[in-house]
Amino acid sequence: MSARCWMLLAAAAVLSAQVRYEDILKGPSADWITYAGDYAGQRHSPLKQITVENAGHVVPKWFHSLEGAKRLECVPLVKDGVMYFTDSNTVVALDARTGRRIWRYKDEQVKRQDVNRGVALLGSRLYFVTSDAHLVALDAKTGGVHWSVSYAETKKGYFATVAPFAVKNLIIVGVSGGDSGMRGFVAAYHAETGKEVWRTYTIPARGEPGSETWGDLTVDWGGAGTWLSGTYDPALNLIYWTTGNPWPDFYGGDRKGDNLYSDSVIALDPDSGKMKWYFQFTPHDVWDWDAQSWPVLIDMEFNGRMRKVLLHANRNGFFYVLDRVTGEFLRATPYLDKLTWASGVDAKGRPILVPGMEPTPNGKVVCPSIRGGTNWMSHSYNPATGLLYFPTVEQCDVFTSSSKHPEPMKNFAGTGVEAIPKDPGKFYLRALDPKTGKRRWEYPMTGDTSMWAGTVSTAGGVVFFGDDDGHLVAVDARDGRHLWHFNTGQRLTASPITYEVGGKQYVAIAAASGVFAFGLFEPAVSVPPLKISDSR
Amino acid sequence: MRLPMCVLALAAFTLAPAQEEEKEKDIDNPHHGKQEMVEAGRKLYLNSCSACHGPTGEGGRGPGLIKSGMIRGASNRRLFTTIKDGVRGSDMPPSTLDDGKIWQIVTFVKYLNAPAYETSAAGNADAGERLFFGKAGCVECHSIRGRGGVLGPDLSGAGLTRTYAHLRESLLNPDERPTDGYQGVSIQLKSGRRVEGVARNQTNYSLQVLDAKGGLHLLSSLDIEQVSFRKGSLMPGDYKTRLSKSEIDDLLAFLSRQVIRVPEKEK
Repeated sequence: MSARCWMLLAAAAVLSAQVRYEDILKGPSADWITYAGDYAGQRHSPLKQITVENAGHVVPKWFHSLEGAKRLECVPLVKDGVMYFTDSNTVVALDARTGRRIWRYKDEQVKRQDVNRGVALLGSRLYFVTSDAHLVALDAKTGGVHWSVSYAETKKGYFATVAPFAVKNLIIVGVSGGDSGMRGFVAAYHAETGKEVWRTYTIPARGEPGSETWGDLTVDWGGAGTWLSGTYDPALNLIYWTTGNPWPDFYGGDRKGDNLYSDSVIALDPDSGKMKWYFQFTPHDVWDWDAQSWPVLIDMEFNGRMRKVLLHANRNGFFYVLDRVTGEFLRATPYLDKLTWASGVDAKGRPILVPGMEPTPNGKVVCPSIRGGTNWMSHSYNPATGLLYFPTVEQCDVFTSSSKHPEPMKNFAGTGVEAIPKDPGKFYLRALDPKTGKRRWEYPMTGDTSMWAGTVSTAGGVVFFGDDDGHLVAVDARDGRHLWHFNTGQRLTASPITYEVGGKQYVAIAAASGVFAFGLFEPAVSVPPLKISDSR
Repeated sequence: MRLPMCVLALAAFTLAPAQEEEKEKDIDNPHHGKQEMVEAGRKLYLNSCSACHGPTGEGGRGPGLIKSGMIRGASNRRLFTTIKDGVRGSDMPPSTLDDGKIWQIVTFVKYLNAPAYETSAAGNADAGERLFFGKAGCVECHSIRGRGGVLGPDLSGAGLTRTYAHLRESLLNPDERPTDGYQGVSIQLKSGRRVEGVARNQTNYSLQVLDAKGGLHLLSSLDIEQVSFRKGSLMPGDYKTRLSKSEIDDLLAFLSRQVIRVPEKEK
């Protein structure tokens, strides 16, 4: 057969990698096609082949080792049996049933190597960011490049780790770098052309309202990074994006004021980028408590009336309920046992500070620790149980500060923290009732408090999460009862997903050096050697 | 008989002391980036080195200098001293040339290993673009920035991921160095259906096949009746006769210009 004949032949049944905006709108299905599983950020899958009753029969199905990978932090996406995951400047497409590689793309031109949180799928393409803040569009079938645009300059303090977020025909990205000086922003690019559509800064420009909450230097370099992907309410046409800490992280003398819009959730019109409202969790933060933990969108009864709310367990130790239409503060409750920096939250949602908790040159013990009560590891919500599940760490740190004049991009954060050896802290998976803000149950973990793994909830009534000792664990969503665990032998710094291919449910998580996939036990079927005829 | 001086012994590059030496601060090549020095180095190379290493570094009695990645990763210091001092225990003798000429040879050998984008291809890139998307038919199987077929490697960044020699070889002798994941395959399924395309991956237990329309077929061996792999590359082997010499130069010039982003030093 001639080469040309080969080219022209095409089989009848094909797997299309097309992801339409409407597919994402429909919410979770057999596939996992956006970072949070769905626009509401609930990370709750309708799959229920794996149940509370049979979760004990889950076994590993495959492991895909990625050469050179040391700390994967991505959420894999799955569409039509193909899994896409990332490492620094690298994207891999796998057969999601077997773990066999279909293609790998690596941008060898990038000098930086930062962690990467994953891809966005839209149309026949996927999108990811390089460490040096290029947004790259790849062909989902082949890994071929469609376009690559630089959206932030490393010489201005930026780098990138975010999983892009697809809304309508836009690809929305954020930036990292807020711990050594930059000016955060969220930007949208046309999915087809790569042209920038809008850019909204998370620190107002000089002279704009809110700029008075910064100092002369910090108004240009104050951070407020945007490194966690967003969530979206299509009915309200609002995207919700969380922002990072103000810079210098631990010394506030050069930024006297609230430092808007750091440590906030901002609601943006996806068509224009215009900010509709904001809510700041930690005004004038001096503890590095970025607001990058999961904003989960649900409708629930609050004080006798149904409200469209945004749930947010913040790094600062409080669990917030906001009206996501207006940003109105509804309630905040502590979800930690150790919380020393604020005695509560006032009627507007502003923390009531405990005096003397700011970092000092000699050090001040403050709870929670620098990593916060929770962090960017994914949270999940099960509509059937009405519970929010998220990893929590009870931990304190010694926070120190310095009034040394800050210089952008010199990796100076106003000093930092020291751990307390005799009180290393402890991780728990906690289930919270958003209606009351009260803890329903908790599952304590062992480990060295080094984890950053998240959760996924399923209609089978199972919550899967990575623990502090490198296990993937399954618990009963109703009461936290242990059902199953598997020791990956690796540090987990990513969040699990679940998907279905060929009528079989899988659970997958990126570990340090590759991706593990699990499913229900099936007896092996003997596979005879392939009949390979000699080529033509 | 006087031995050619440039017989670089491959073994010398794999010794542990050599690796440690690579970690030392490198020395600058005074001729780096100077095209006239590439040409001067080419002449010296042809006189003194090509008998063993081949006229274009393809190797012969001495090791090849363009395929192994050995030269690409070598420091200036290592290349210079290997030529100047030779390699003891091999046929590579010390050089009698002065330092300036040795640097010219280093410049040429580095040039042979430079990404195609950094070399000066002879042809007309615009004419090459017309060939790629037209008469030469490359676009039926290869894509550049989303335009083209899927059965061959994406060439959007070919200028930086391949040397000029590699591009030339791929065009004119595609069976010499087939690209992993692009072997033609024809599969008869037990269902009676037939799948044709390239095997992106293959084990005893599964095949991942991409067909000409971009359809992915994730096949279990249990569903397969018979598999037939195509011998050699799917890339037509007749470009050296189908295209004229100047057309080949034009096409290679176009491919050499393909980068996903312009290298930092050019901005």
